[in-house]
Parts: sequence; structure tokens; C-alpha cells
Amino acid sequence: MTALEQTASGFVTVARAGDLEPGSVRVVEVDGRSLCIGLTEDGEWGAIDNVCTHDGGTLGEGELDDSGVECPRHGGRFDLFSGRVLALPPVRPVNAYETVVDGDEVRVRL
Amino acid sequence: MTLTQTASAIDADAIGRISDRLDEPAWLRALRARWWGRLSVTPPPTGQEEEWRRTSLDSLPRDAELLLDVPQLEAHLPMGAAEAGVILTDLRTAVRDHPELVERYLGRADGPGSHAHFWALAQAAWTGGLFCYVPRGASVDGTLVARQTLPRADVAFHPVSIVVAEEGSSVTLLEEIVSPDGAAGWYGGIADVRAEQGARVRYANLQQLGDGAWHVGAERVVVGQDAVVTTLNAEVGSRVTKLGLDVLMTGKGGTSKVLGLLAAGDDQQIDINTVQDLAADHTTSDLLYLSALYDRAHASFYGLTNVRPGTKQTSSYQECRNLLLSPQAGAEPIPVLEIEANDILRCGHGATAGAIDPTMLFYAQSRGLDADAAERMIVRGFFEQVVAKIEDETIRERILAALARRIGTTEDVS
Amino acid sequence: MALPNPALTQIPDSYKFGWHDSEQPRTTFEKGISAEVVAEISRIKDEPKWMTDLRLKAYRHFEARPMPKWGADLSGIDFQDIYYYVTGNSEGAAQSWDDVPDYIRRTYDKLGIPEAEKKYLAGVGGQYDSEVIYHNIREDLEKQGVIFMGTDQALKEHPELFREHFGTVIPANDNKLAALNTAVWSGGSFIYVPKGVHVELPLQAYFRINTQNMGQFERTLIIADEGSSVHYVEGCTAPTYSTASLHSAVVEIIVKKGARVRYTTIQNWSSNVYNLVTKRAVAHEDSVMEWVDGNLGSKVTMKYPSIYLLGERAHGEVLSIAFAGDGQHQDAGGKIIHAAPNTTSLITSKSISRGTGRTSYRGLIKVYPGCERSKSTVRCDALILDDEARSDTYPYMEIDEENVTIGHEATVSKVGSEQLFYLMSRGLTEAEASAMIVNGFIEPIVKELPMEYAVEMNRLIQLQMEGAVG
Repeated sequence: MTALEQTASGFVTVARAGDLEPGSVRVVEVDGRSLCIGLTEDGEWGAIDNVCTHDGGTLGEGELDDSGVECPRHGGRFDLFSGRVLALPPVRPVNAYETVVDGDEVRVRL
Repeated sequence: MTLTQTASAIDADAIGRISDRLDEPAWLRALRARWWGRLSVTPPPTGQEEEWRRTSLDSLPRDAELLLDVPQLEAHLPMGAAEAGVILTDLRTAVRDHPELVERYLGRADGPGSHAHFWALAQAAWTGGLFCYVPRGASVDGTLVARQTLPRADVAFHPVSIVVAEEGSSVTLLEEIVSPDGAAGWYGGIADVRAEQGARVRYANLQQLGDGAWHVGAERVVVGQDAVVTTLNAEVGSRVTKLGLDVLMTGKGGTSKVLGLLAAGDDQQIDINTVQDLAADHTTSDLLYLSALYDRAHASFYGLTNVRPGTKQTSSYQECRNLLLSPQAGAEPIPVLEIEANDILRCGHGATAGAIDPTMLFYAQSRGLDADAAERMIVRGFFEQVVAKIEDETIRERILAALARRIGTTEDVS
Repeated sequence: MALPNPALTQIPDSYKFGWHDSEQPRTTFEKGISAEVVAEISRIKDEPKWMTDLRLKAYRHFEARPMPKWGADLSGIDFQDIYYYVTGNSEGAAQSWDDVPDYIRRTYDKLGIPEAEKKYLAGVGGQYDSEVIYHNIREDLEKQGVIFMGTDQALKEHPELFREHFGTVIPANDNKLAALNTAVWSGGSFIYVPKGVHVELPLQAYFRINTQNMGQFERTLIIADEGSSVHYVEGCTAPTYSTASLHSAVVEIIVKKGARVRYTTIQNWSSNVYNLVTKRAVAHEDSVMEWVDGNLGSKVTMKYPSIYLLGERAHGEVLSIAFAGDGQHQDAGGKIIHAAPNTTSLITSKSISRGTGRTSYRGLIKVYPGCERSKSTVRCDALILDDEARSDTYPYMEIDEENVTIGHEATVSKVGSEQLFYLMSRGLTEAEASAMIVNGFIEPIVKELPMEYAVEMNRLIQLQMEGAVG
């Protein structure tokens, strides 16, 4: 998709390459939503909801191991790309967002 | 949060202005000032406390204007009661007409620990309230009803209600508070109820605040030797209610029945914490709290039964039952026991949450009622259990009428 | 017989007293914990990098988390006053028979425990060589494809299976003590039961060769594959002496579709021990998970076996007994999370407090939205035997689904004087009569224990009532 097509289909820019160290996550507020975006050691970008479904912890302030985002509150883990639960105590997955890298920009479809 | 911060926007000057406006005697000014001092060293809850974890005060309308022109309290004594020395008036009138009596009871005790901040606030900043006094041996016929209506939704009002039943007396009192729907307001009423030796008291409180109101209330009930007290809190209105109730069984042989009911819908959040403190021998305290929850309403209940060390033959039971009547309703009943004596006659608790028993629904429908009507009938029956325990026809009718908005009436189901 | 294992009756005499003193001196680190200590533990065990990294991360979390402000009084724990790694099998062991407290030695006598087993329980001296005894049992298990070995060994021999499940039920940062365990864990059991396999004989920690049955930071992982079943038993009713004052184990259990797991624990740690355990299971579709939990000893126990009912029609049960004598605080209970429709749960808790003891039931039933037609019943009963004893009940409920039936009931009572009088009029002493009543009180749970435990438990209660111990 071209950048224009991306924007038209709801992609928004959430970061620029270099904004994150590989193997880390951070919080991004965009369009009234709070997202946790992450960059794996392998260089892949992903984005999920920022609020842990267990007890409301802030996932973007947690840690990233391989593709698992660890919630800082009780250690629950979600897959950065699918939002699936990888470790308790959360039982419900979080939403995951399609993420593309276009040149220098990291864009997410909300 | 520094210790001098309070939940409200009221300041020391405002307290002085209340006294000016109501032309209060020196002892009362001094009393308010003392409680104001207490307030400034009693911070509001942080939300970490066990009783406050489930309800946030972030949106409490702290800047609501303090209501100074309080409409007249509607309260009447039956024939002959005044002659027998019974008093039932609003608090300001009582200060004027019975200062020694009021001074004996007003502001003399601490309320529930969970609500210490709000108790102090009301003791300092009340602009209305109730004074009900029944002298020793006097027995009041019929049901006393005291009804306070607020003129606007967007005010702050922290009335103090005092109910004293002296030795051997008996009284049944229903207090009602009503306010209009709409804007957010803050109602922080407190009640101080004392039943002395052998007294019989039935005290009901019917809250029908508007749908934007925040209700942060506290009640303290002391049950003396061989006294029998029944309390009933009916929560019908408000957007958020956080009520703290302490029932202190300080006299040997005292008995209390602690009843509560709430029917909540829309986005209401009703959170109640109670303490049943069995601190004397042969005391009995039974609690029954029922809730019916519709739409997206949520009810939390944290009840502590504490049997003190060294007490003998106490008897206590706590029951909290929640009917969840819509997919998004939720309940958190937490009945807690802390038992520090072993010579107990009985002690227990029970809590349930869930939908109406499908068998009951089926049975009702097989009698020709449709699903809605069957549900209404069953919910009413559920509540009748509680109202039946207060054994007063006037209270029963008024409360069921107030609940009708949510749970319907018997006429609907005939 | 103290060791709850019928196989012992078949031991040839020469092995029964096959007791020998270890020739190797113990090697221990200095007391206290640090990242260096954690790294060194991993290095000594020759672990893969991912485990070393996980231990270090867990240590960071342990340092950062505050102690829980609720529950029992943990102010007596000094984390820097503990040995975090001891080589050899004498971890937590007394140096000589004389070090073992009097009350424990007397209990062993009264329970009629043979000399060798007494020493084993007290952890005195060398190893109790179980190789020959359990050889046959292990052969059978291997034939069925069941994996049952120490957790350290499993990490080496079954790395993919291990890594797939380790830390998925109790992650490193779940709570302070779980973080500590994840950093310094050593020992514990690893069990994998293949699809459709039913392990008939209850598996016990004793079956593992060279076990450290008093590991301070044991880590157990049990995986029951689809349609399988297994019963695991740990602990012992006889008092177990440990010099180590903090025991903080973690147990993770995964019960896959249609499988069934029961985990029975009876602990009777000596009165110097803080026993803080995190135990959690996940139960998938149509599965059954049961925790049977007996807390008799320790100075303080904080333990809330939990079950996450993740699949439809899963069923979870917690059966808990707690006995608190003088100076003890048993803070126990259970947590059940309903996260799927048609799930059911049952918690039954019986607790007894006497002297200055205190029992607290602490539990949670949580029902997520959408878990329709779920049912849960919690029943907690407590007996208070003396005026200075104390009993608390803290049952939490978070119910966010309407179409469910959730109920909780609790009672607290004392021993009825009429009952006592009746029994005494039949010639029993007051202690004997009380013991009988207490045994009747806990009977519904005791009958779920393996028989040897049940017999032991009754005898132990009797001793407690006579004031002969503790």
C-alpha cells in the first residue's frame, strides 16, 4: 500500500525508526487511544492495547522478551503481534494492531 | 497528599460563616472549630484502605456549593408525644429550643473509622439535620417520618442526624432524603443513633437522591444493655453511594438487626461497608443486605463482624445476597469475620451472587406471567424478606414505593 | 509409620537402615542475596542462557517489589540472613540429632516412628538412599512415557517442554516471593503425563532419587496432557525440622483438555519456619483440578492454592485444613478464577485454632463477564478452642456475569459443651473428647487424603489436643 492508501485505510504514525531500542516497549497516545508499541530484538515492530486485562497495568511501561510484552504490575505476558495471553494472571487477550514500517515511519491501523 | 488537604473546597472561614448565618451560640461555634481542627489532621481515604479499594473518589464534586438555605424538614410528632417530652425537629431548631440536650449529644463521638474524614467534615460543616429524642420510659406510637428535600442537585449538604432513645423508651423513625436528578451534587449525611438500656429503636433511612448525586454517608449505632435496635438502609438513588455503618454492641444482652436493600440500575455504583462489633456478653447482631442490580449497576459490600476477646455467648450472622439481573451488572460481596473469642453461641456469614434461580422463574411463568412480570414478582419477593424484618407497615410501604421505579409494583404483576 | 508410602513396608531390612553419613562437607555461599549470587547459582547448575537471564530478571523484580501489606506478619524475615544455595542434600538439615528441638523428638516417639526415619525427617546427617526401593516404580512410569524427575534435571533433559510451560502460570513478577523463587529456585518435581495416560499410584517427592525434601525454594511444574490423570503428594504429617527459616516454593500445574490432576500437600514445618508458597493451576476444557492442602506447622504460612478455569466445563476444587497452635498463624485459603462458561468450583476450608494460634481463611472467587452458567460454592468452617485463639475469614467475590450461581457460607464455632460432656461421661478425658470432636470436624477433608496421611493426621490432632507437642 502506498502511504496515502495507508492513511486512507486508517493507519496512523506512532513512531519513527530509532525511537525505540530493540527489545523494548513504550506507551504511545494516538487518536484518543493508549497503545503499547514495541520493537523486538529481531527488528520487528508491533502494537497492542496499553492496558493489561488483568488489573489495569500499563503494558508500555513493561518489558519485552522475544515477542512477549511483560506487564509491570504482576508479570502477565501478551504476544506483541497477536495480543494473545502468553502467561497468567491475565486471562483475556488484548487487541493487537496491524503494524507497518514505511520508510522511517512506524504506522499502525487503528 | 498533605494532611491539611480535605475532600471539600470548604475552608475555616466558611465554617465561621455558617455559625454567623445561623446565629449560633458560642459552644456550637467552638464545637465546629474543634471538628474543623480534627478534619485538618484526618486526611481523606487514599483508596488503598480495604474499605475504599472498590470505589474511587476522583470524581467527587468537591467544589459543589455548600447549601445554606436548607428547606424546612418535614417532620411531625403524633398527638401526645410532645407532652411526653419527645422531640423531633431539624437540628438548627433543636439547637435553638433545646440547647442543653443537643450539646449533650452533638459532636461527642467518633463515627466509623473508614469514614473518619467525612464524619469530621459533617460535624464541622453541617447546615441542617435532625434531632430525635425520646425520654426514658416514653413510648412513641406509630411511625415518625422526617423527610428532607433538597432544592437543587448541584449542592453540597452534610447534615447531622441524632437519634437518642433513653432507657426503656421505644420509637420507630424513618428518615428520607430526596434531591432532583441532573447535575452532580455531594450529600454527606451522618447519623448518630443511641439506644440506651432496654430501649427499642427501629431506624430506617431511605435515600432517594438524584441520578447525579454522590452520597458519602456514615452511621454510628450504639446498642446498650438489653436494647433492641433494628436499622434499615434503603439505597435507591444517587450515581455513587459509599456508605459506612458501624453497629457497636456495647451493652450486655443487646440485640441488633442490620438490614439493607438496594435496587440499582443505569450506571449506579453502590458501595457499603459495615462493622458489627460484638463487644459485650450475650449480644446478638444479624445483618441482611439484599441487592437487585440492573443495567450496568455495580454493588460492593464489605462487612466486618468482629467478636472481641473475652466476650461470652455472642451470636452473629451476616448475609449478603445479590441478584444480577442484566449481563453487565456486577457484585462484590465480601463478608469478613474476625473472631477473637471462643465462647460463641453462633457465628457465621453467607453471601451469594447470581441470577434468579431458573426454577423459580419457570414456576412463576407457569402461572401465566410473562418473563418480565415473573422477574419483577420474584425480585419484590426478595426485597419483602428484608422489609418484613423491620415490622413496620409505614416504612415497608414507603420503601417499596420508592423501589418501585426499579423493581415494579405488585399492581404490575396481578 | 511416618513416611506416607506403602512401598516402604517392602524394603529389605538391609536397606531400611541404609543410613550413612555424608563424607563431603557442605559448601555454601555466604548469607544474603545479590545478582552475583543468582548468577553463580545458575552457573553451578550449568543452565542455558534463557534460564540465567530469567533468574536475573526475577531478581530485579524481587528487589523492586515491596512486601505484601496484608496477610500475616512477615516482619521477622530478613532476606539477607538466609543461605540461598547449599550444595549436597543437607539443605536445611540439622547438624546433629541434638540440634533437633525436643518437641519434635518427642512427637516422633509418640508417633512410633522408627529411628532411621526420624533422622531422615529431621534431615540429620547424610542421605537416605532410595535408589533400590523406587526402582521398580520408576520403570513402570517410564514404560508409560511419564516423565518424573527433579526440576533441575528436567531443564537439562527436556528443554523444549520445560521452556514451553515454565513461568506461564506464575510469571516472575507475580508477587515478591514468586520473584524470589524464580531467581533462586532449586529442586522440586517436574512431571509430564502423556495423552490418555492414567498414573494409578500417587507420585511422591520421595520417589525422586537424592531428593532434598526440605528445599527452601523448590520449583515444581506438572503438565498433564489431554485426557491423562495423576495424583501428586508432598509433605508429611510428622513435624519436619528445618534450620532454614524461609520456605518459599512455587508450584505451577497445567491441566489440559479432559485431564485430571490432584495435588495433595500436608505441611508440618517446625515452628521457626515462614512458609510462603505460590501455587497455581490452569484447567482447560473438561478438566478437573483439585488442591488438597493441609497446614499444620510453621510459624507463619501464607498459601492460597489457585485455579484458573480457562476452558468450558472445567472444574476446580480446593480442600483446605489449617491448624494453628500457640504462636502460629495459618493464613490460607484458595482462589478460583472463572474465565469460561459452564465452569464449576468448590472450596471447602476447615480450620482450628487453639492456644494463642490464629487461622485466617483468605479466598477469592472471580467470575469474568461471559462465563455463563458457572457455579461456585465456598464453605468455610472454623473451630476456636481457646479464649486467646483467633479465627478470621476474608472471602472476596468479584462477580461480573449475571447468569451464574455463586454462594459462600462460613461459620465459626467452639466445641459444644454438651458434646464434650457426653463424650466425657463415656470415660474419655477432656483432651480425648476434644480430639474426637476436632477429628469429626475435619473428617470431610481427611477422608480425601491417602490413608497413611489420614491416620497420621488423626493421631497428630490427638497429640496437639493433649498439649504434648508445640
